[in-house]
Amino acid sequence: MLEAYKKKYHQNNFQYILVDNFGAVLETDNNLFTVQPKSLLQDCHPFFEILTDLLQVNDETFEFSCINLEFNNKILIADIIIISQNKNENLIILEDLTKHYNNYQLTAQTRNESIINSQVLELKNEYLLEKETFKNNFIANFSHQLRNPITASIIFSDLLINSNLNADQKNYLDIIQSANKDLKTRIEDILDISKIESGKLSLNDKVFDFGKLLNDIITGYKILANNKGLEFNFNLQEGLPEYVKADQYRLKQIIANLLTNAINNTHTGSITLNVSLNYVRAKKANIHFEIMDTGIGIEASKIDTIFERFTKLDAAARNDKRIGLGLSIVKYLISEMQGNIKVESEINKGSKFTFNLSFKLSNHRESIKEELLKYQVPKLNKKYHILLVEDSELIQLTILKILAATGHFYINIISKGEELVSNIINKDVDLILLANTIQDFSAMDLAASVRNLSREYKKTPIIVLSTQAFKEDIKRFKQAKINDVVTKPFDETILLEKIYKHMK
Amino acid sequence: MIASKKIVLIGHFGVGKTSLIRRFVENTFSEDYKVTIGVHISKKTLELSEDQSVSFIIWDLEGQDDIKKTRVSYLLGTHAFIYVFDLSRPSTFENLKSEINYLHENYSKIPLKVVGNKVDLVNKEYLTQYNDEFDDLVDLFVSAKNGSRVESLFSKLAKELI
Repeated sequence: MLEAYKKKYHQNNFQYILVDNFGAVLETDNNLFTVQPKSLLQDCHPFFEILTDLLQVNDETFEFSCINLEFNNKILIADIIIISQNKNENLIILEDLTKHYNNYQLTAQTRNESIINSQVLELKNEYLLEKETFKNNFIANFSHQLRNPITASIIFSDLLINSNLNADQKNYLDIIQSANKDLKTRIEDILDISKIESGKLSLNDKVFDFGKLLNDIITGYKILANNKGLEFNFNLQEGLPEYVKADQYRLKQIIANLLTNAINNTHTGSITLNVSLNYVRAKKANIHFEIMDTGIGIEASKIDTIFERFTKLDAAARNDKRIGLGLSIVKYLISEMQGNIKVESEINKGSKFTFNLSFKLSNHRESIKEELLKYQVPKLNKKYHILLVEDSELIQLTILKILAATGHFYINIISKGEELVSNIINKDVDLILLANTIQDFSAMDLAASVRNLSREYKKTPIIVLSTQAFKEDIKRFKQAKINDVVTKPFDETILLEKIYKHMK
Repeated sequence: MIASKKIVLIGHFGVGKTSLIRRFVENTFSEDYKVTIGVHISKKTLELSEDQSVSFIIWDLEGQDDIKKTRVSYLLGTHAFIYVFDLSRPSTFENLKSEINYLHENYSKIPLKVVGNKVDLVNKEYLTQYNDEFDDLVDLFVSAKNGSRVESLFSKLAKELI
């Protein structure tokens, strides 16, 4: 009975071939492929060329698995055993495992493709990342290089405006100041984008007067809108919190960028800013912001792209020569503040940008007061000695002008880092203004050389004038016992505020 | 006179061993990748001179990420090795030195050619980046896709084997 079943289901997957010591076929069952007696097996398939060597060895068994063969256009994948004997009669056994190996091939194909694809993807990512890093570093370095000349330009035009100028000269200077402001904003936008892309932009939450911030914005933008012949409406709902904890600078940047965008894209009509309280929960106020215009509007198909970098809505908008980073920064900042911006727009009717943000409520009036009062010229009963260590003549002159105008300081300027220590020891130095890098010296090296002097020099305030103001830079400065940082481009107010703070 | 020589191509999977052979034997190329399992054997005769030819029996082995995993029986009677790696995928040559050392140590008498395939996908700057890794180890940069230096690879090998 079993024999009958075996006969029915057994498949003979084997072929047995007897060959002589040269590979000539003596006998075979031709079960898998046909080969004529006396013909050389080497002529059937190049695999059998190996017989020429193997059959020279007596009484050996050679096993080959997964050999891909082809006979008369028929693929055969077989395991092959070659048994060499010393009587000119060698046995070759082929086992057809085509089905089995084809299944294995499918598995291997999927596995290998997946590994190769992931490796290629990884390489592409690495390449893109390198490219992105290079671009961001380039942008950051280039922007930093621009900071010294812009700082000088801003400060000198500020100084010049208070001198005796005729009406024409004042007009020209207004234009220069406006261009300076514009240039500064654009460089800051570019730097923000490079910070965003390199993951270095972080929020700096502090308590501030929310109402004052909104009023400052409204005052500034009302003038801008009116200058363009546009009406400026605002509605600050009653019940808005007085003090909140958030990144004041970035919140202002969000609203300002949206208002700038609204003014730029509106030729007639009005700009409206509405701010209202959604709810207060768990000591957090959720606030709704709306910025509306009656401008050119955005095509529905383009709404999704307006937050992309360098996006311009139309040719006319391109003429304003702005580089289109503002909205991209806005979207990023709102998302960093856990919000989401929405846009509704209709061509030639206008656009409405809305977003909700949650802010921690604060009762820290005192800290606010301190913040608000921080820039007050202190009552000084003597003139202080300031040592400026800076190799840029432009910045030297700029600072000299600012400090000299106050009448509060004696100023000593040196351009070489190695001269720092000799200019401190046994000399009156109340504060050191230090450039971030001076030839081969970093501000950290120079600060260390001061702090390593005797005890009396350990407390001399050191303020660094830096083009680098990333969070990690600030951290490094703190570790080097540097008291404060003034970021370039700076203006008179910022510089004096920091100096007076440390003169108290 | 025809000399028959067994050439074995080894290297990681997906480096283009089969494509190199197809370029040499049939002068064709396909972008489609089909994984080789076990071994495929093909044959091509290269005429070196009027009275001298070499019949290459080319064993195209299944790709392995470790050369030690190669079935020893496949290597019986080998006259030369061609070790192939993919220039565009660093993972296929990150252990190049140790793989080549293994071959030198275990098959010291068998000639070896080390070949970086897919040179069409990389530029000079990229190759310079890996100068230290390739220096003294790599014999040729080839492209199965455009045929660059494929014929030259086998011709050089043939001359060395005769």
